[in-house]
Order: sequence, then C-alpha cells, then structure tokens
Amino acid sequence: MNPYLAGVLLGLVLLASFLVLGAGLGASSGLARIGAFAEGCILPGHVRSSAYFGKWAENPLGYYLVFMLAGTFLGGLVSALLAGRVRVGVERGAAFPARRRLLLALAGGVIAGFASRLAQGCTSGQALTGSALLLSGSLVFLLCVFAGGYAAAWFVRRQWHD
Amino acid sequence: MIETLYGLDRLGTPAAFFLALLLGGAFGFALERAGFGSSRRLAGIFYFRDMAVLKVMFTAVVTAMLGLSYLQSLGWIGPEQVYLMPSIYGAQAIGGLVFGVGFVMSGWCPGTAAVGAASGKLDALVFLGGAVLGGVVFNELFAVVAPLYAWGDGGVSMAFAALGMSRAAFAFLFVLAAVGCFWGAEFVERRVAGTGEFLGGRFLKAFSLVLVVLAAGLFIFPAGGAGPGAPAPSPAAAAPGGESALLRAVEAAADHVEPEDLADRMMRGEEDLLVVDVRPAEEFAGFRLRGAVNVPIAELAAFLEPRRNRGTVVLYSNGMVHPAQARDSLARAGHDNVYILTDGLEGFAERCLKPASLRAGSVPPAEAARIDAWRGYFSRPDAPPARPVRVEAPRAGLPGLVSAEWLAANLGRKGLKVVDLREQKDYNGAHVPGALSLHPESLRGNAGGLPSMLLPAGLLAAKFSLMGIQPVDTVVFVHSGDRLRDSTLAAMACERLGHERYAILDGGWEAWQAAQLPADARLPEVRRLSYPAPAEPDRFTVDYRVVLAELGGGTVILDVRPADFFSGRKRDEARGGHIPGAVNRDFALDLAPKGSAGSLKPVGELAAAYAALVPSNDAPVIVHCRTGHQASQTWFVLRRVLGYRDVRWYDAGWTEWAARPELPVE
Repeated sequence: MNPYLAGVLLGLVLLASFLVLGAGLGASSGLARIGAFAEGCILPGHVRSSAYFGKWAENPLGYYLVFMLAGTFLGGLVSALLAGRVRVGVERGAAFPARRRLLLALAGGVIAGFASRLAQGCTSGQALTGSALLLSGSLVFLLCVFAGGYAAAWFVRRQWHD
Repeated sequence: MIETLYGLDRLGTPAAFFLALLLGGAFGFALERAGFGSSRRLAGIFYFRDMAVLKVMFTAVVTAMLGLSYLQSLGWIGPEQVYLMPSIYGAQAIGGLVFGVGFVMSGWCPGTAAVGAASGKLDALVFLGGAVLGGVVFNELFAVVAPLYAWGDGGVSMAFAALGMSRAAFAFLFVLAAVGCFWGAEFVERRVAGTGEFLGGRFLKAFSLVLVVLAAGLFIFPAGGAGPGAPAPSPAAAAPGGESALLRAVEAAADHVEPEDLADRMMRGEEDLLVVDVRPAEEFAGFRLRGAVNVPIAELAAFLEPRRNRGTVVLYSNGMVHPAQARDSLARAGHDNVYILTDGLEGFAERCLKPASLRAGSVPPAEAARIDAWRGYFSRPDAPPARPVRVEAPRAGLPGLVSAEWLAANLGRKGLKVVDLREQKDYNGAHVPGALSLHPESLRGNAGGLPSMLLPAGLLAAKFSLMGIQPVDTVVFVHSGDRLRDSTLAAMACERLGHERYAILDGGWEAWQAAQLPADARLPEVRRLSYPAPAEPDRFTVDYRVVLAELGGGTVILDVRPADFFSGRKRDEARGGHIPGAVNRDFALDLAPKGSAGSLKPVGELAAAYAALVPSNDAPVIVHCRTGHQASQTWFVLRRVLGYRDVRWYDAGWTEWAARPELPVE
C-alpha cells in the first residue's frame, strides 16, 4: 500500500480514537498490564505491595488499553489473512542465525518494555499520539527514539545481511 | 459538541473496552497495510534502505493533528475532552533514547510487534514476551528509577506554547517539516536503495500541497480560540454517576483535609501539594498560610486546569462555604484532586497556631512541641511561595489593563516581569519590588531619516533580551501619573514583537502607592536571555504612502493632537494644519481626571465618544499624532480597550507629513 495513504488511514484511526475515547492509541500499557497480571499470578502479595504495579493490582487487565492491544493483534491478523501474508518464521537476513536473531528480539523487547514504562508510552502512545497533540514531551520522546536508534543501528546491522 | 468517554469519565466501562477493541482492530489493520508486520521493513529506516516508518508515522501524526485542530477550532470538541499527557522531559528523553536502542535491536515496537505476531513472525512474539518482562523489571526496579521517572516534570505542555508561538504557526511549520522529511526520505531511498518511487512524482507533489494548504487554513481561526490549554471545563461533562460519587465523597468528608495534616504536609515541603487561598487579595496580603497562592474563585478553574488530577490541591478561605462550593464545581468539571481545609483558616488558627499555653486543659509535651514547630513555620512573615506558580490571567484578558491588587497578588510568580517606565530617579527612589527600569524613549530612534520612530523588531527583541524577558512572560508596564502614553508606547513595542502577554497597570505608580502596597529600591536580578525577533514586519504600522492612498476612502484618519495643532493655530513643524479629511480627538480627552482611580475614563464613556467618530468596530482607522507617542495611547484605547478590529498607526505622523511638501494639507 502507498505509505502516505497508509499514513492517512492510520491518522484517521488516531483521530477517531481522540473523538470516541478522548485518548489516543497505545500498545505498551497493555503489555505492562499483562506483566502485572502474570507477576500477580505467581506473587500476588508482592505485586499488591509494589509501588508501580500495586495501583493496578485489583484487576490489571480491566483497562481499555489491554483491549486495544488485543484489537491490534486481531486487526493485524485480519489484514494479513486477507492479503495472504501470514507466514510462520523468524524474520532475519539469510546470513544470520535464527537463534541469535531471536536473542536480539528478546533483549530489544526487554529494553523497549522497560523504556516505555519510564517514558509512559511507546511509539504509539507517545510518539504518535502525543506528537499529534503537539505535546512538548512527546516530541522530545520522538526525536530521542530516532537518536537512540541511529546511534545503535551499526552494532546490530548484521542481522539483516543476506 | 462531541463528548468523549474520557470527558464523561467512562473509560473504565465495558462499553469503552469494546470500543477500544474495535479501534485497536482498525489500528492493527492500518499498521499491517502499511507493511509494519515486518521487522526488516521497520528496521529499514535505520539503514536508510526503506523510509516507510518515517513516511507513515509522520503522515499519521500530521493527519490526526490537522483533523483535531480543525475540529477544536470549529468548536466541535472541547479541549478538555481529550486526555493530555504531562511532559516529563528527563524521563521522556532518556526513555526515548533507550527505547530507540530496543527498537533497532529487535526491529519491533509494541504495536507493530502485535501485528507481526499476528502475521506469524516468531521474532515478534519473542519481542512481546521481552516487553512484558521489561515492564516487570521496571516494577521491580521502581524504587531505583523513581527519581528518573519524575525527572523534569513540566506538567501538561503544548509545544507551541512552550516556544511562544501560536498553534497555527507551529502546526504550519510542523507540516512543512513533515513534507520536507517526505521529500528527503524519497531522495535518500533513491540514493541508497535505488527506490524512492515517489520522488518528484505527481502524487507526492499533490499530497504535499494538500497538507500545506490544510495547515495554512488554520490561520483563519483566531489565535488561542479553542486550542488545548484554553480553559473550558464544562459542567455538562459530569457523568450521571459523577453526581452521586460527588455526594458520596461529601458525605464521607473525603473532600476534606484536616488542619494538622495540612500543616505537617506544608512544613515537609511536599512536592505536589498546592495550597490555594481564595480570599480577596487584600486579606491574602494581610495574612496567609506560608506557601499558599492567591486565586479568586472565578479564576480557579482556569488556574487549576494544568494541574487537573495532578498532585493535591487544597482550597481555603476564612470559613468553609466558598471553598466547598468551588471544590464541588471543580469536581463536576473532572478535577478529582481538589480538597478543602476543614474549618478554614479560622480552624487552622485555632487548631494549629494557638499557643499551647492558651489551650484548655493540659497539652502533652509531644503535642506542645508540634504546635511550637507549626507556629514557628507559619508565623514567619512574607515567606515566598514554596514553588513557583505561573501568573494567573487577569479577568479582562491580555493585552489589557490590570489593577494594583492583581499585580500585588501575582508579584513574585514565575513568568511575571514588571517594567517601570518612570524617570530613573523616581525608579531609584522606590518601585514595585522586582521591577526593571526602562526609559520609554529608548524604544524609539531615527529610522530611515525619520526621527523618533519605534525601533524595528530586531532592536526591540535585543532590548527585551537584555531585560531577561521571554515570549512566555507576562509583562506589566508601570507609568507615572497621567503618562499612560509611556505604557502604551511600550505596548506598541510588545505588539511589534507579537508579544500579546502584556498589561498596563491601571492608574500607574500612583495607584500602587495609593493601595499602600510594598515597594523597595532594590535592583532586580536579571539573567540575559535571547528574545526571538519575528521575521515579518508588524501589520499595524503604516507609512505616509498608505495614508495618502486611503485618503477620501472609507478610512477614518484620526488625528489625536491637541485641537490648536489640528487647526493650525499652533505648530512645531514645517507646516501647520492637518491631513485633509482627518478628524480630531485630543488623546488627553481619554484620560480620567487627576485623583480618580484609573488611568482612563470609564469604558462606556470612551465607547460613546468613539462611536461618534468611527462608524463601526470593523471600520478601518489610522491614528496619528506628531511623533507617534500620543497616538499609541489612542491606538491602545481603540484596539485593546474598546475592541476595534482594524486600527493602524501612522508612527511618523505630522513630523513627516508636514515636512513633505508634496503631501496635501488642510
């Protein structure tokens, strides 16, 4: 799809979210809530008394962004099925071993998950939503994401070498 | 008027969950269509192979920004209906840098990984697991990272306001930057990967043009009309459940703070505690709780808007009735962090400040020590506010006139700059505490051979820089006695710089003295800053060519010199008389008689006088005098006090007109 038209579509979805929910899009909150839920299943007392997850401990999954994350998965699935793009596999450069690619994905996930809690949002909740609202801190976040990404890009370039 | 689930406080309901699921579905669909179910594609931007991330993201941001700006400007949705996240600069800068590293390592971010997992990408699934784990790690390390998490808290901050720009101007530049990035991205793709299929094509040209035109269209709406940050808490936003929740809170006294508790929290210097005194400014000036700020009840909603549901706000007055009513009104408008002080200031005095020796019965020693500590802390006079608080908006709005009481109540607050325009020896004798001295004549000079012209914007900006004034500051001018025109000349300097956050002290220095407000002779501490000069010339200054061209048309030429000069009986210039067709109203006729409270005659009187000279509020008017000084006062009266919309200023005035023999004289 033409990336500009895809961008317009995404922008209209974001606008609809502003008008209906009164809040933008988000993804990382849903993941953090799942983390709180999972940790609560193993150590309920600990989660209830912890400073960050504690305030969600009653019902960590009872939050609109958890449902939005589920929706994102389902919407992606519908689109990918319609376009015949569902293929199970590990995406990587042909010359890079799959196991190491998965290790990088895991480490990147931990880092991104941690950072999105620190910044109170990720590419969806801060960079996309906050920038569209012209919020100062969100624009700072957006610029810093690219700064961080470009600074580290050279070190992980081999995973895409064919 | 659109009411959102956030505005109705119903984001936690099953209906909201269902709608979030649907919106998430649309989000996932759009991401997948954009090709973001692929980590190779997402990572492409970091190697300049495939700039799709930049194109899609920037387009989406600009689309939603323009859409929301139009809807808000048209008044279809109120600014309070959308949740605005606070800017916590340190946390967001560090968080962004770290996030970027995680992004490039994995090739995923949370939203796209959900779509990637749906497309069967195992690396996306692993990323999601890692991100969940990252949240757990954050929770476990929270004690360590908490200071970073709150580092650089700037509250809700709109980028355009932080930069001192209008919303429309910022949005326009933002869209230009986006379009520049699109073209840059296509160019980079062509150079690095041989793609960049849209570069120079008709589609990208048309798309760029549409975005720029839409952004430029925002300029037709009045600035500050309905952007976020404009205070407009609507009582209608109360949910049906909200009223009963409110009453339950009242019944349980959950809306109260006990004096002892408040005293301890204030003494501890609790970070997020804001104590607001809602009594009249005079009573506040007499006695107040140390660290409290003074805000009239009518201005509370606007004042507290940036602190909506952030930290704790405690209202107090002498008793409890007024703060309680204000609190309930704020609670209906969605502020759930506002409390009232039990028994008000009277209760506080009785329960915290009354010496142990005067109390009935014996006071245990521990209690007596606590009372002594409170008395020591709260009896210290003139304690400065514990935290800087921004200046409140005067009732009549800015630019405009403010009373001495308003200035006294806002003195010392962040963002207030007082500029004293009196003679330097008067300033050296006594001035409003913290005021800067400025000679009004230093704002003028010879320009293009014309004497006493208001300096160009670049030089004015340099002066403002030297005085440490920033575009976000509220500047208050103080003149002496009947020299209101000194303040209005300074006002013209602000207008030329596009600095609309200014006010003139009504009645000048004499009003300050008459109210027996504090004064001192100390020089202020000033940090030199850089004030940006606008690139465009102002729109209200005209030269003789414009005046000549509009002679005999519908424009009212208003000559504000004394009548003898208008008639030509007296003259200081090469020729006497006036511009053909000009009407005369001596600027001094607008001033209130000596000894009265304000600088100007009552607004009704002024409105009637000018209605007789100018056909309507929209009629074009050009004001002039001899050098531009007196005319600046009439300009201010017409434009900023009476609200005439098309008022221009012939700064060079009679000095120039009389000296150019080719110009007609009557």
